[in-house]
Amino acid sequence: MKKASPRAASTAKKAPASFPVIEVSHLSKTYGKRTTAFKALDNINLKIFPGESVAIIGKSGSGKSTLMHLMALLDKPTSGTVKVLGINASKLKGKKLNRLRNKYFGFVFQQFFMNSNDTVLENVLLPLKIGKVSRFKRKKLALKALDIVDLENKAKNKATNLSGGQKQRVCIARAIVNNPKILFADEPTGNLDSGTGKKIIDLLFGLNQKGTTLIIVTHDEDLAALCDRQIRIVDGQVVNESKQKAGYIRRTAIKEGQKEDR
Amino acid sequence: MKLTDIITAANRNLLKNKVRSFLTILAIFVGSFTIILNSAINAGVNDYIDSQINAMGGEGYLEMTPTATMDMMESMMSSKVSEYSDEKKDASQSISFKSEDFEKIKKIDGVKSVYPIYLSQEDYVTSPYTDKKYEISLNGTVEGFELDMETGEMPNVSKDNTKFEVAITKKYVTLLGFKDNEDAVGKTIQFGVPSTAKCYTVAKRSDCQTVVEATITGVQADGILTIGGGARANAALLNEIHRINSIGMPAENADVAYQATAFVDPDKIDQIKEELKKMNITAMTIDDEIGTFRTFLDAMVAILNVFGGIALLAAAIGIINTLFMSVQERTREIGLMKALGMSRAKIFLSFSVEAISLGFWGSIFGMLVSMTIGYAGNTFLHSEGMFLENLPTFHFVKFTPEVILPIIVLVMAIAFVAGTAPALKAAKKDPIDALRYE
Ligand SMILES: Nc1ncnc2c1ncn2[C@@H]1O[C@H](COP(=O)(O)OP(=O)(O)OP(=O)(O)O)[C@@H](O)[C@H]1O
Ligand SMILES: [Mg+2]
Repeated sequence: MKKASPRAASTAKKAPASFPVIEVSHLSKTYGKRTTAFKALDNINLKIFPGESVAIIGKSGSGKSTLMHLMALLDKPTSGTVKVLGINASKLKGKKLNRLRNKYFGFVFQQFFMNSNDTVLENVLLPLKIGKVSRFKRKKLALKALDIVDLENKAKNKATNLSGGQKQRVCIARAIVNNPKILFADEPTGNLDSGTGKKIIDLLFGLNQKGTTLIIVTHDEDLAALCDRQIRIVDGQVVNESKQKAGYIRRTAIKEGQKEDR
Repeated sequence: MKLTDIITAANRNLLKNKVRSFLTILAIFVGSFTIILNSAINAGVNDYIDSQINAMGGEGYLEMTPTATMDMMESMMSSKVSEYSDEKKDASQSISFKSEDFEKIKKIDGVKSVYPIYLSQEDYVTSPYTDKKYEISLNGTVEGFELDMETGEMPNVSKDNTKFEVAITKKYVTLLGFKDNEDAVGKTIQFGVPSTAKCYTVAKRSDCQTVVEATITGVQADGILTIGGGARANAALLNEIHRINSIGMPAENADVAYQATAFVDPDKIDQIKEELKKMNITAMTIDDEIGTFRTFLDAMVAILNVFGGIALLAAAIGIINTLFMSVQERTREIGLMKALGMSRAKIFLSFSVEAISLGFWGSIFGMLVSMTIGYAGNTFLHSEGMFLENLPTFHFVKFTPEVILPIIVLVMAIAFVAGTAPALKAAKKDPIDALRYE
């Protein structure tokens, strides 16, 4: 039975008839007003299905982060709608929205956003603290997440004293600590050398393998190529969507690896 | 986020900005300190006054004097020359109680008991342990009195007690030749009592004096109401003195009461006073007698509280300022917490708890320092040569939870109110704007 479940999940992913976790329609975002107005996103339409891995690629300033923030309900669109699990985001408020952010979403922000005066451990367990997880349990889970990103020995360090790449990994640990259903990662390998980057990529796709929907913002074509789907953005518009075989190949490779483990 | 986590986080945030937090707490401390010390003094002094009033029979104890006596005393003290009138002169005749007066007073609603005070006069007190004789002023004590006893007991006031008993004040202990309080209790002392009528006919005062022996039941602590006053005797002793005083007088002259006391229902005092006024009797409670002192005390307390209040107001502005700075500094952190699913209410609560914590620590330090200074001051004022030296039961300050807790709660409430504006500002922040903030 255990072996059957990942395969069942991957079949569901391939079936396009399944219900999208995120559906974006006619989405536009304009920053500023009148003379300074700048249209960062222009009429975006896309669907993301459960268990998928999706890359959002494009040049700097093309609107990738803006799109991710809108899909993650951190920001409000100028026009158009975002639906999460079939519910219109404009209707999601208060408790429901907070629960969604806290229990179902995981975020890796492009600028890290860490409380630099707190310890690494404190930073990682913050989502659990907000989610009222008990002191003992949240420490255990946070240490486990730090172990996954190879930073368990830095748990007691202050966040400021870490290197750029270490900070990035702390952010990833924080994003996965609540075992999210949807993981939003904005440039998760931006500051990493190829070796560490590969580890993080393995980690992210490992989670994806277990059913987490992965939305990765990147300008790294190689990383994008590993995803099921690539959404290319130029000047706030989707130019083409492509499915690359590489994504499937990679996933199969991981699957093989897991089989060997058992 | 759980409340315990919010409280820990708030206090940790305060610690991150030690100097700023300390200065804000210092401002709160000044206000709390002033108000707590002030209230403790107020409570201490009022408590003492209350205990003294209870020693004199409590709130329901009335001293009654014919209004004519009061008027006479007033005109004697006055520097004005009053116009003569027959009515006034007639009225001034009745400076003593008529025996039917007591029946009438007893019938007034709320009056429990009435005691006429007959004239009793004693010339001196002495004891087998001294050669000297001392003047003394002997007052009565009746049921309902709670004398502030330092050693021993109050005289037995029950009507069946025929023994002559007296509670002396502390200064008579050494004067009468006793080693200490314990030594005095149980001993017999002598009062020299004159038979007034006889004294006009004899050559030497001592020829008209009778010696009455009484047992010391206890020693009273010196108090504000016992300082001039002397000993307290039971009815049996006072009656005996009165009997000796009246020897040789016609009965209608002897049994005259110029004053009387009554125990009444404290809630009905005002009506009773009104009724008595119609009978041309002026009634005063102990509270009336020391009323001016209370008014003075209340005014002092009010003024000091105003100062404390001003200090707290300044402190509240300090809290607002500190918290706005904190919100500004932590914009990104707030945004992150919101992005991670923290509710507006909890963000608001976080900053409110920070404000309340400032209030809490400020008032706790205020309490500790005012207690230290208050107790030290109390000890100092009781030391030799200071004005409370002879009033050992007068605790100048009284720090009880009933005095302190309401003030701490009040200060925390003020801090909370001061914190609402910054806390609301934090709660309203949008995650994305906060995350963009550099
Ligand atoms: N708050 C804002 N006000 C005005 N303009 C903004 C704001 N945020 C973003 N923009 C603009 O919108 C555009 C898209 O920004 P966005 O951050 O989404 O780019 P990006 O694709 O993530 O770029 P990068 O790869 O450099 O992170 C940029 O031109 C940026 O200057
Ligand atoms: Mg970006």
